[in-house]
Amino acid sequence: MREVAVRTFGLVIAASYGAFIVWMYVRQPQSVAEVTGGLTASLGAYQVNQQSFDEGLRFFRNDQFTAARLAFDRADPGHQDARTRFFIAYTFYREGWGRLYHDDMLFAQGLDAVDQAIALDPRGTLVIEDPDLALRSPGELKGELEAGLRSDPSDLNPFSAFRRRK
Amino acid sequence: MSVALEAFYLPLIMLTVTLLGGLRVAERVILMPPPLVALVLALLLLSILVKSGALASERLMSADRSAAANLSGLVVLIATFLASAQAFNLATPESGLPRLLFSVFLFVLLLNTMAASSDRIRTLRSLAVTFGSAFVLKFIVLAAISDPAGGRLKRILLVMLEGLTLGTLTQDPFHPITGYLAFLTFVLFVVGLSLLPGRAGVPSDVPRLRSHS
Repeated sequence: MREVAVRTFGLVIAASYGAFIVWMYVRQPQSVAEVTGGLTASLGAYQVNQQSFDEGLRFFRNDQFTAARLAFDRADPGHQDARTRFFIAYTFYREGWGRLYHDDMLFAQGLDAVDQAIALDPRGTLVIEDPDLALRSPGELKGELEAGLRSDPSDLNPFSAFRRRK
Repeated sequence: MSVALEAFYLPLIMLTVTLLGGLRVAERVILMPPPLVALVLALLLLSILVKSGALASERLMSADRSAAANLSGLVVLIATFLASAQAFNLATPESGLPRLLFSVFLFVLLLNTMAASSDRIRTLRSLAVTFGSAFVLKFIVLAAISDPAGGRLKRILLVMLEGLTLGTLTQDPFHPITGYLAFLTFVLFVVGLSLLPGRAGVPSDVPRLRSHS
């Protein structure tokens, strides 16, 4: 009886450890926070730090984008929350946006962040109801970032100087 | 072999080797799955272990054992295979000519070990030397050549390799902790191999050695 119990316990431990290893290789976490965040998210127990998130939102609305990103990162250290990733991508978009030209490096970082948001919300249910935002879903934001990174004849259109930041 | 060793410690050791075998710390932490050549080498290693008696597969899975015992034996076999693949992944450089040379070198060494038909102890000793040499070559010699800052060892190696284009040898530099983790992984792997259930029969050359004592 004891032998069966030891073997069963060993199988459960080995199966759990094996699943953890597969998860690590698939997700490639970059920090302990991402490992713990990912594991708690897979159990449905992951929560963002609401205070840091609100702080990030306040900085974002004041166009303090670096401070906003730091606050959003504090709110979601495990990189598991699609909404926070979306706002981080939006900070890159707004910071990199220019009337005459865009900052490609910031737009590329924004694209990275919005791709993470899309990966975390595969069903595409995330829509931010905020009158301050013209782009309310990760898909719209991704489209805008990709358009900004693309070089085409429309870049030479003089009327593009009158476009507005979204 | 105790039940706890078979059901608990061996799978944990081998799975830890599987996890750490792909770990590379550079600017980012990367977990590299085993390449196909590592799977082939792992299969070859398993057959060597079985042939030499270092791994008695019948003591892990057989008709005489219960279903639960066979299941934990299967877990040990799978974990050993995965750990072997990741150990070869760790022992092989990531790119360029060294990757090709190491793969061929390891393949020939394993074939040689298989052809030599050694006993359990000699096979384990041979494997320890193989992985130890690969560790030294990859994490000390190649790492020194690839070090952008350079050092005394790099200067010595440059003199020794005069005339050879280093572009074919250099690798992407890793954080030094990768080497320490690799060392730990190789030690753990060799310990895991030595803990595998061996064949009960006495190897052919052992009685002769005993008769002298």
